[in-house]
Amino acid sequence: MGNNQSSGKAPDAKASTSKSGFSSPFDIASPKGAAGWQELYPYYMHISPERRELEESKFWFFDGMHNPEPLYPFDTIMTENWWVAASQMSNRVWPVPPAMGIDHRVINGYLYISPNSVTDPDKLAERGEIFASRAGHYFENWDEIYENWKDKAKDCIERLKAIEFEPLPEYEHEKHVFSHRGLYSSYDLLTSYSRMIENMLEMGSYHFEMLNLGYGAYLTFREFCQSAFPGITDQTITDMVSGIDILLFRPDDELRGLAALAVELDVADVILGQNSPDSVLGAIAKAENGPKWLEALEAAKDPWFWYSTGAGYTHSDPVWMDDLRLPLSAISGYISALQRGEDVRRPLDKIVARRERVTAEYREHLPTDEDREAFDGLVALTRKVFPFVEDHNFYVEHWHHSIFWSKVRELGDIFVTRNFFDDREDIFYLHRHEIYDALYDLLIGWATGSQSRGEIYWRPIIERRRGIRDVLAKWSPPPALGTPPETITEPLTIMLWGITQETVDEWIGVDTTSSDQLRGVAASAGKVKGRAKVITATEQLYEVEDGDILVCRITAPSWAPVFPKISAAVSDVGGIMAHTAIISREYGLPAVVGTGYATTLISTGDIIEVDGNVGLVRIVEKSG
Amino acid sequence: MTAASRIVWLDDAAAPGDPLLGGKFSSLATSMAAGYAVPPGFGITTVAYRDFLDAAGLVGEARRVRQAVPGLALADIQAETAHLTETIMTADLPLDLEATVRKSYAELEVRTACANVPVAVRSSGESEDLAGASFAGQYETYLWISGADDVLKHMRMCWAGMFSETVLSYQRDGDTVITQGDIAMCVGVQQMVQARSAGVMFTLDPLTGDRSKIVFEACWGLGEGVVKGDITPSLFVIDKVTFDVLKRQVATQTEEYRFKPDAGTVGLAPIEPSRQEMVCLSDENIQFLAKLGKRIEADRGAPQDIEWAIGTDDDLWVLQVRPETVWSRKSPSRPIAATKSPVDHVLSRLSGVKVAASNSDASKS
Repeated sequence: MGNNQSSGKAPDAKASTSKSGFSSPFDIASPKGAAGWQELYPYYMHISPERRELEESKFWFFDGMHNPEPLYPFDTIMTENWWVAASQMSNRVWPVPPAMGIDHRVINGYLYISPNSVTDPDKLAERGEIFASRAGHYFENWDEIYENWKDKAKDCIERLKAIEFEPLPEYEHEKHVFSHRGLYSSYDLLTSYSRMIENMLEMGSYHFEMLNLGYGAYLTFREFCQSAFPGITDQTITDMVSGIDILLFRPDDELRGLAALAVELDVADVILGQNSPDSVLGAIAKAENGPKWLEALEAAKDPWFWYSTGAGYTHSDPVWMDDLRLPLSAISGYISALQRGEDVRRPLDKIVARRERVTAEYREHLPTDEDREAFDGLVALTRKVFPFVEDHNFYVEHWHHSIFWSKVRELGDIFVTRNFFDDREDIFYLHRHEIYDALYDLLIGWATGSQSRGEIYWRPIIERRRGIRDVLAKWSPPPALGTPPETITEPLTIMLWGITQETVDEWIGVDTTSSDQLRGVAASAGKVKGRAKVITATEQLYEVEDGDILVCRITAPSWAPVFPKISAAVSDVGGIMAHTAIISREYGLPAVVGTGYATTLISTGDIIEVDGNVGLVRIVEKSG
Repeated sequence: MTAASRIVWLDDAAAPGDPLLGGKFSSLATSMAAGYAVPPGFGITTVAYRDFLDAAGLVGEARRVRQAVPGLALADIQAETAHLTETIMTADLPLDLEATVRKSYAELEVRTACANVPVAVRSSGESEDLAGASFAGQYETYLWISGADDVLKHMRMCWAGMFSETVLSYQRDGDTVITQGDIAMCVGVQQMVQARSAGVMFTLDPLTGDRSKIVFEACWGLGEGVVKGDITPSLFVIDKVTFDVLKRQVATQTEEYRFKPDAGTVGLAPIEPSRQEMVCLSDENIQFLAKLGKRIEADRGAPQDIEWAIGTDDDLWVLQVRPETVWSRKSPSRPIAATKSPVDHVLSRLSGVKVAASNSDASKS
């Protein structure tokens, strides 16, 4: 079985390539055992033969940055959300002149996207005018709008938390009867589901309210710096504008604080002596001062442990709140550092002082006063927008979405109670529209007292879909399909996915069968040689050993706790604004992102060399 | 004229900026006073040179040659200068001048605790300050000279070098520089650094004029190869603000310049295979050099061109500091981007217009 899988794994997708260098999306075969995978997704997400010309004329690239694994049917809500929410922002709300929306397709379970551009000069001019007045309003009132945004986001999260899915009672509650409400548990269950979906789409809309403008300001500042100081590193540019006390660092800061408290309360050795979360909590509870530490742990959890170990777009990424392995292992690491006499607090004063010095010196090195004026303006604007760019990630992907997944699981319990599923997690094999049907079926069974068809209908479907998805998870999606544009200039593609003309040329040039070298974006400086550990599922994160080089489709920022263990990171996908970039550089590890094929070409155990100075990964020695 | 002004030691309190030392040596004295590691030595000043020309009766001939040369074809220059340069090599030195040079060399032997101390004998012309002209590589430098007799001989060779074809025809902005005045020369005598590696450093990017960079080229052995260009050096680009190494292009080097005892001169010698592909600078060397460059630029208030060497004990020496002459002379550059409000910059970027017309995305290369 292992042999079949590995031989069937990689380059079959590249077997037939058009003259553009990329396969037609119609030429992608399904891996053996995945036949019928289309049923996992709604009709509108598929490449469709009736509009073959359109599908083939577009350039589809794999969005491994947000969705490195095959989509679960339910989880498509995330990508479907931004199909509308992000697209409407750049196309209908403030029409970014050359960029309409971004189209989506699912191919063999993986998400491919394609930006739509505007070329008609009249249309460009018309859009430019509307854009300038609307976007200008946001930039001018940014701080106030962002304050309101935080209130909206927190209110949305509070309303999500308040949604509850209660098991249907044998007889309706008395309170619903004697209050003459006229509405009962069936109505509550159905509307709770609808409200949960709408709540998700509401946060999904807030997500993009300010994001493109924030990225736009950063991108402009970055290009200015690259023109003035060719070769300046992305890290240095980010250092000049990034926030110091940003929310995204807060969960990790809490862990540093808990480590310090453990040392102070003399329970540090109790934590170090255990190897599972349950045994840690058990041992601590018995220790003197232990309850005091547990109290602090509980206090830190809400909201800071609503922190996903992935990008937050899939339910399968463990969240600290439910899975304490990652936070406890990080706490152990900080305790060991403290016991060696190190200071584990982030040196905020030093970071601030450095930021001011670095910015002032670059300013001084500019050739003219006009440039200094432009630089000052861009620094100020980018610093203004950056708190949102960095912190929206905690509000949306971590805090809100983690709670959202936990709510969906509560609904899964209802289905388990009514004998639809064996496991609450099975709910994720249904699309959200299918759940609406299944829920109504469930209400019918409860109301009538007869058996819902769902009690026998869904189990075989879920089993089949699970098998298909497992097969798809072992398939490596090619980085792009279809027809690339003559030049990549569309700002959102460059900004959000880091896909440039060079990226596309590199993809076309790569020979996946013989190459022992990969080129990507130099994301963090340094050069390291070591053993590769290829991660294709979040679960494998716990197998990472000290000194390993992490090779993955995408490095998620909240994998932070394994970063002290690894010596470098390589990813298939990623660009300058990947959420990853901020934290991976914080740890000072060499990183090359956007290599396209790293997880295809590299196997666990290979000795590889990562050069984060130039963006090169070399396979020095294949294992086995 | 007093004997004292014919010799000025680099560490003399009055030496920094002393015009009698010529451009190169007065600058080195300034560097030494600023606390950089400069090899010890003394200058045989322009006063000594003028005394010699006077005593040898060559003042008029020197003036004649300088006037006669502009406009002549290269091939014809030598015929005009032959008598002058021959006489410089053979005419008697004023007696007290010769004694002073011998005495100073003997003192350098004492200071360096080294009999027959090898020295570099270097031309240091007044003209180096003229019109921003660098005269890079035009004047002679003689390496690894030992003993007072040889020092005196190479002093004359430096003097004669003022009338070489290349110096006489050296032009700046269309004018022959040498005709611009009665130019004299100081000859510097300085202890040799037994260089393990050496090179040249610019405190800006010489290719783009970008002031946020420090760029240096380095090679194994003496730095002659880098200056002459017959050795392909390794290239390092350092961010002047963060000291990140932005580019590190290591060249394979099969030969290096070093002193060859059997030949008694400096020349190219093969490098053992194990060292040919090694980086000639350690990470610590790179950081130290870059920080030194930044400090020198701050002290001098303008971008500099610095020659340096690292000795066998990892000791770093500054061999020459001079103002960068290409970019520093340019009038203020065109602004990088048209002046607009920052919001307008962003709006036009999102409209598909790049920030700068010639945006070079060097981080990708």
